[in-house]
Amino acid sequence: MTRPLLVGAVAYTPNVVPIWEGMRDYFADGPAEMDFVLFSNYGRQVEALLDGAIDIAWNTNLAWVRTVQRTGGACRALAMRDTDTVFRTVFVARAGSALGGLEKLRGKRLALGSKDSAQAAILPVYYLRRAGLGEDDVELVRINSDVGKHGDTGRSELDALRAVLEDRADAAAIGGNTWDAIGAGELMPGGFEAVWTSPPYSHCNFTALPALSDERARPWVEQLLAMDWDNPGHRRILELEGLRRWVPPQLDGYASLFEAVREQGIPARW
Amino acid sequence: MVRILLDLVERVGAVAAGASVTVPLGDADPGIVADWCARTGNELLGVSGGVATVRRGRRPEPPEHLLPGTRVWLYTNFDCNLACDYCCVRSSPRTPRRALGADRVARLAREAAGAGAGELLLTGGEPFLLPDIADLAASCTAVLPTTLLTNAMLLRGRRLEALRRMDRDRLALQVSLDSATPDQHDRHRGAGSWQRAVTGIRTALAEGFRVRVAATLPAGHDGALAPFHAFLDELGIAREDQLVRTLARRGVAEAGVELTVDSLIPEITVTADGVYWHPVAADHDDQLVTTELFPLADAIARVRQRFAEYRARADEAAQWFPCA
Repeated sequence: MTRPLLVGAVAYTPNVVPIWEGMRDYFADGPAEMDFVLFSNYGRQVEALLDGAIDIAWNTNLAWVRTVQRTGGACRALAMRDTDTVFRTVFVARAGSALGGLEKLRGKRLALGSKDSAQAAILPVYYLRRAGLGEDDVELVRINSDVGKHGDTGRSELDALRAVLEDRADAAAIGGNTWDAIGAGELMPGGFEAVWTSPPYSHCNFTALPALSDERARPWVEQLLAMDWDNPGHRRILELEGLRRWVPPQLDGYASLFEAVREQGIPARW
Repeated sequence: MVRILLDLVERVGAVAAGASVTVPLGDADPGIVADWCARTGNELLGVSGGVATVRRGRRPEPPEHLLPGTRVWLYTNFDCNLACDYCCVRSSPRTPRRALGADRVARLAREAAGAGAGELLLTGGEPFLLPDIADLAASCTAVLPTTLLTNAMLLRGRRLEALRRMDRDRLALQVSLDSATPDQHDRHRGAGSWQRAVTGIRTALAEGFRVRVAATLPAGHDGALAPFHAFLDELGIAREDQLVRTLARRGVAEAGVELTVDSLIPEITVTADGVYWHPVAADHDDQLVTTELFPLADAIARVRQRFAEYRARADEAAQWFPCA
């Protein structure tokens, strides 16, 4: 009997347990049985993938970039959420701040989330540079409150927003998911406003190494892509994980992060 | 004020789906918490003392087969030709008739169908004591598949004629029979009742009706079941129509399982006195939902709401138990 595929995920919320138990149960009925292992941070998970302790890693975009760097590009992405193909970073300020556009941040203080968060730290600096703003032009207020989880908890982004409320920063860079979670400025029109929104980029994906053969990966991916929003049993898992359907990976969406990591000298591990 | 949104995201995001958190409102309007919950798919459980309690995720709906209102019971009369010593609604020949009557039964049947019910069940006392039982059955079978509960002892003369007027395709009979031999049945229901019930079952089968047989037995009485099923097989009762119910401590029963509104999956039950949680307690105020029979949809909605609350409370208790 073939042993189940072992999928790694990072425990950034208590919900990862019902999510992955649901996934395991879903795959138990098909040709590609799986089990899962939870890690406390992405560094450990990537190491486990490289060591062969797990077959597939549910990776953030930074964990993907690091795996590509560590394997010389030999790894491959198997699938991602539909929501991972259109991830964005939102620069947020107090309503009425008159900070429309990145150029207006010159001479201002920008709160960033944890240093290993692509959406709330690495890519915001990349976008500033593309707008011609270096570190001398914008004061970066770094809030490293969930390092290791690549910003997944959203905690550092909420802390960055608190810094704006407490006048320790003029604006904050957060993920579009956090912006939606606080109502995207619509619940309290006098509270926050979005002053700039990034182009879409890719976020998480299932990452595998060449050691996982196509013969073993293909049935698992096919069954993954067959999860159906209209099936109540599948939907419960999809809702918890924040997607409507699984899709093939869009690797072009990682180009900006590869560039940002290179420019900023982000190490391949820490 | 906007700080409440950050606190909500952080605190709710830190717990598992189904768990609840409290968030101090500070100077925020409670309405903003309700708006946030509606937008993000969480549930505001309440606001008290300047603190909002929020559940992560929405309360799950009960499975469809457990949804109250899928079956609707109608107690047609309450009086009975038998005085069983464990009757859950205290029916007997001395019990005054409390009849729903043909007009109300017809309206209840229509409203039950309109509210999404899939099945009606008519029960007495003994429904065949009613001179218009055929009309009652007809108004039910006109809208939904119907089961008529009877002791089958009266299927002679004009009552047999009434049976013959009923719709064989839409109506099944459910006959009470507790054992394969007279002793046990007659001990609780009266001498000679077993033989007359068996005769009635044979009559109904011969008339072309589907007959279910339901035994009422004390909990843990499994040993007596094999001869009982063999007897019913011989009578020609399909295995899926051979039912065994556990005796409930209700009505005149001195022993039996305890059943309360939070331990019973509700089945909407209508009597002349009101709408009840479950047919086993249709004579007990603790399970009275409302004295207003109409519109029936309102009572069904009320039962569904209470059931969802009980389930949620039980789920919360279940979450705590393993840690206690």
